[in-house]
Amino acid sequence: MTDNHSGPESLAGVAAAEEAGDAARPSYDKERIKVAVAERKRTTYTPVQPDMQLGFVHNNMDCIGCRACEIACKDKNGLAPGPRFRRVMYVEGGHFPDVFAYKVNMSCNHCAEPACLPTCPTGAIFKRQKDGIVDIDSTLCIGCRRCEAACPFGAPQFDVTTNTVKKCNMCVDEIDAGRKPYCVMGCMMRVLDIGPIDQIRAGTYATKAVGPGDRTVRQVRNMANPELTNPSIAFVAHPKGKVE
Amino acid sequence: MSHDDRTSILGSALNVSRRGFMQGAAAAGAAAGVFTALEPKKAEAFAYEPYPRDDELVTVPTSCAHNCGSRHMLVAHKKGDVIVRLSTDDGRFQGPEGGYGYDTEQVPQLRACLRGRSYRARLYSAERLLYPMIRVGERGEGKFKRASWDAALDYVAQKMIDIKQKHGPQALLDQSYAGASYGVLHKSDQIEGLLGRFLGMFGCRTSSWSVPSYQATTFSSRMTFGTIEDGNEDDAYAHSKLIIMWGWNPAYTFHGGNTFYYMRMAKQRGCRFVLIDPQYTDAASAYDAWWIPIRPATDAAMMAGMAYYIFTNNLQDQDFINRFTQGVDAGTMPGWAAGKENFKDYILGTYDGVPKTPEWAAAICGVPATDIVKLADLYARTKPAALKASWAPGRNSNGEQYNRMAAALQAITGNIGKLGGCAEGVGKGWHAEGVAYPYDEFSNVWYASIKSDRWAHLVLNYPNLKREEIGLWPRGDELDGVVPNIRGIFWQGSNWFNQLTNINKQIQAIKKLDLVVCNDSTITPSGLFADVLFPVATHFERHDVALPWYKGHYYIHRPKVIQPMGESKTDFQIYTELAYRLGFGERYNPRASRDYFHHDDAVDEAYLTAWWDKVQHHQGADISWEEFKKRGTYKFKLPRLHVAFQDQIEKGIPFNTPSGKIEILSTTLAQTQDFTRTAWGYPIPSIPKWTEPFESLNHTDKVKDYPFHMITPHPRWRTHSIFHNIPWLRETYDQEITINATDAAGLGIKNGDVLEVWNERGKIVLPAYVTERVMPGVVVVHEGPWLDVDKDGIDRSGNPDFLTLDQPSPAGGFAYNTILVNLRKTDLNHRPGWDQLATSRAHVFRRGV
Repeated sequence: MTDNHSGPESLAGVAAAEEAGDAARPSYDKERIKVAVAERKRTTYTPVQPDMQLGFVHNNMDCIGCRACEIACKDKNGLAPGPRFRRVMYVEGGHFPDVFAYKVNMSCNHCAEPACLPTCPTGAIFKRQKDGIVDIDSTLCIGCRRCEAACPFGAPQFDVTTNTVKKCNMCVDEIDAGRKPYCVMGCMMRVLDIGPIDQIRAGTYATKAVGPGDRTVRQVRNMANPELTNPSIAFVAHPKGKVE
Repeated sequence: MSHDDRTSILGSALNVSRRGFMQGAAAAGAAAGVFTALEPKKAEAFAYEPYPRDDELVTVPTSCAHNCGSRHMLVAHKKGDVIVRLSTDDGRFQGPEGGYGYDTEQVPQLRACLRGRSYRARLYSAERLLYPMIRVGERGEGKFKRASWDAALDYVAQKMIDIKQKHGPQALLDQSYAGASYGVLHKSDQIEGLLGRFLGMFGCRTSSWSVPSYQATTFSSRMTFGTIEDGNEDDAYAHSKLIIMWGWNPAYTFHGGNTFYYMRMAKQRGCRFVLIDPQYTDAASAYDAWWIPIRPATDAAMMAGMAYYIFTNNLQDQDFINRFTQGVDAGTMPGWAAGKENFKDYILGTYDGVPKTPEWAAAICGVPATDIVKLADLYARTKPAALKASWAPGRNSNGEQYNRMAAALQAITGNIGKLGGCAEGVGKGWHAEGVAYPYDEFSNVWYASIKSDRWAHLVLNYPNLKREEIGLWPRGDELDGVVPNIRGIFWQGSNWFNQLTNINKQIQAIKKLDLVVCNDSTITPSGLFADVLFPVATHFERHDVALPWYKGHYYIHRPKVIQPMGESKTDFQIYTELAYRLGFGERYNPRASRDYFHHDDAVDEAYLTAWWDKVQHHQGADISWEEFKKRGTYKFKLPRLHVAFQDQIEKGIPFNTPSGKIEILSTTLAQTQDFTRTAWGYPIPSIPKWTEPFESLNHTDKVKDYPFHMITPHPRWRTHSIFHNIPWLRETYDQEITINATDAAGLGIKNGDVLEVWNERGKIVLPAYVTERVMPGVVVVHEGPWLDVDKDGIDRSGNPDFLTLDQPSPAGGFAYNTILVNLRKTDLNHRPGWDQLATSRAHVFRRGV
């Protein structure tokens, strides 16, 4: 089975578990975790404070899940089968005939406090000052895959053909040429976009990804806690994907 | 060649070196300051490194070319003669007002789908056919040797002459299809393509008249409206208040460049959506539709129940009925039809004593009567409302009755010819100027014409069959009713052997033939059963203009982006050269000279400039051919949104039917005396009627052995069978059988378990996708995986056409969705495709890479 099925299957499973209530899961002291994370970050490194942070916005509800963005990305980056910088996850749930489905589309979230960056033993990972894009210098990458393990969102992808880890760099070449990345420009439904993440969150950024009356959120169900790394991504959530 | 070898070849062919990028591009310089001083490394002309930025590459606008209902822009970025990557429309190709990011409701960008975006992998795939090949093993064994063009062409020409002399003018079967096409010049087409003209001029051609995707729908549209151009342009969908997607999944099948996007606009403007389908599709979720699950092949019954509710509650638009329709009720029956049935009285049960009530319908279609009433009420009271009667429910036995019934609902609610309404049917919108190839009285000459998926039945039973069994099209001469003795098949842009119904029967039949010729750019499952393979240049390697055949008012220039790879030639070159060798080359390709096989540029340019001249004069395009070539696209701005039949309704122009009305009572059908003398072969009611399908979940005797109804929709990750071999797309899906979670639990089936699925016609093996999104009793297998038969005749690829029935519906519709099957867990392996575990065919075409 190829890995797309781990998408619907595992996410549907998570949805089901959450529906069943938290009682079924082991309990953690969330406050202690928060403190520990903050402590770790403070003692490990000081994240770059970019002049402006670019981020993605995706409409989970209106996305038809066509994955044109994924293929545009594969082609742009010349990737062989295996690494998938961008992943459109299919979430479904409910019971026949009252079912629901939605899509969560993620690549690298170019986090304000990237978890990958401090794990890199060779300093290959860096965050750009001008727009906060997180990129990997592939001439320094030794393929140890620590960043892959550290990222809560599965962004770094190991490429067996080069023995290095690669990931979305928001098409920096396009950004520097004043254009948007291939995935955004390939979105047939115009539900994926980039922009200054502060403006996207404030609702002041003009984008077709956010419809009239839509509101963006930092987190949707089935997604890791954004407090871990402060990811630069916003979603228009499906009603079933909303987190209180 | 082992699996590992193939992976690494693909890997290196598609890999962009990021190290090269880091050295070459200044982009990362700011942060990794150490690199700023490096000079960009000069890019080499071949392969994919170092990583060049878009602005360092030559940009060539072109389009995709596969057989879907859409056509999008691709922009090739090339270095030397190699396409390095593809992008799509970004607004810079819109003419004077355009610019990067320009994307308006009137002139939207034509953004390519996932299939279009994967074209580079197809162009450079391991399955690319580069040289002429002649079979050396048994037919279907897949053993070929490379041949010279001369040898291959002479072989085919000589065989053609022999067959025609021995068996007469019907002996060669034209199975061309639209797979290599949609261009105005290099046209592959079932009816009037380059192959049809070639065989017709040669004087030996049996054509295939029924169209796999939508023949029942075509029949309905022609009978009811007199045309298949019953469609609105996609932008009209933004103006509906209610869109009923009947068996339609615009998230999978892209009909029109931006249909799905305009529907999103409609949703933002308050439009409500309904889906009638056995599956809860991605379109249903994106448009937040009310899902009404329905038993497959029972759609016409549900519609009859809706009509009953509308009539008995007097919700019909009687004024519209009186003015524009024939045969809806007693008042609209023509004088000649005394004693014939009308639609309303059929629905009310006047003739058979069976009122087609919502309760009657519920028992057949499985939809609760309350939901039928609710939907009928919603549809009748919401103005304007679009009932989009898609093709898929028409791909059933008597599927034409579903489409005819839908047209009746569209008519009695007065939703035809109005913005926001819908009369689709086939749904072809704006009329494009589609013909640049030579077009004259030889463009569609045939000596017999049969229902397309009856060829194997014909070959296996010749000469002991009746004309109606194969849907023989009537003729006015001595060949009328003569059952053809098929001795050879030609394929152009066609993988029909993999795509028509009942493949096991085809495997038997093809062994009896004397000649099978396949033109393709890729080695396909059909090609493996050919005697001669002609390598065809892809649309990146020939000059043409693309058009959306279904919806969309634009043209996209398609230059020769790169030189043809290997020894590939265009279909037009191949047939012209064969025609010269057979003595009619000058007539076949009047603008060409004898050396067209080696010098096609000037000739193709001449055809296309002549075509653009027509576009300028007939359609008012206001730029020159040279300007069009420079710009890459031409998008028309229509004076008003294109809505089918608006002139008929607003200006009283007659419909193109015998009566000039919307024919709910079909004049043609009502006046047909002997159906065996028609191409349909069997009687078809003159008004829309619920007709029992060949098999369904209501057939309790059959359901005992085969308890599941299988439907076979179009996939999103292939266009029919095209792109099945693309690794990028293979990462995004599995070929699998969708089964309801409760059904699966009852059989102990878990997600990912491999199942064998069978009926009396064959057996396939594929993994299960267990979900709540499909109704109990129904399973879904997407059409088009490349067949992979083991020694026991079991298809390991999961191709549903091993199970489909080759008995077409009377109107010619393929019964692709009328299949009962049984299934169970199995130890047999599923072989998902050529790039993974399946028997690799690429060794046949080893190119020493």
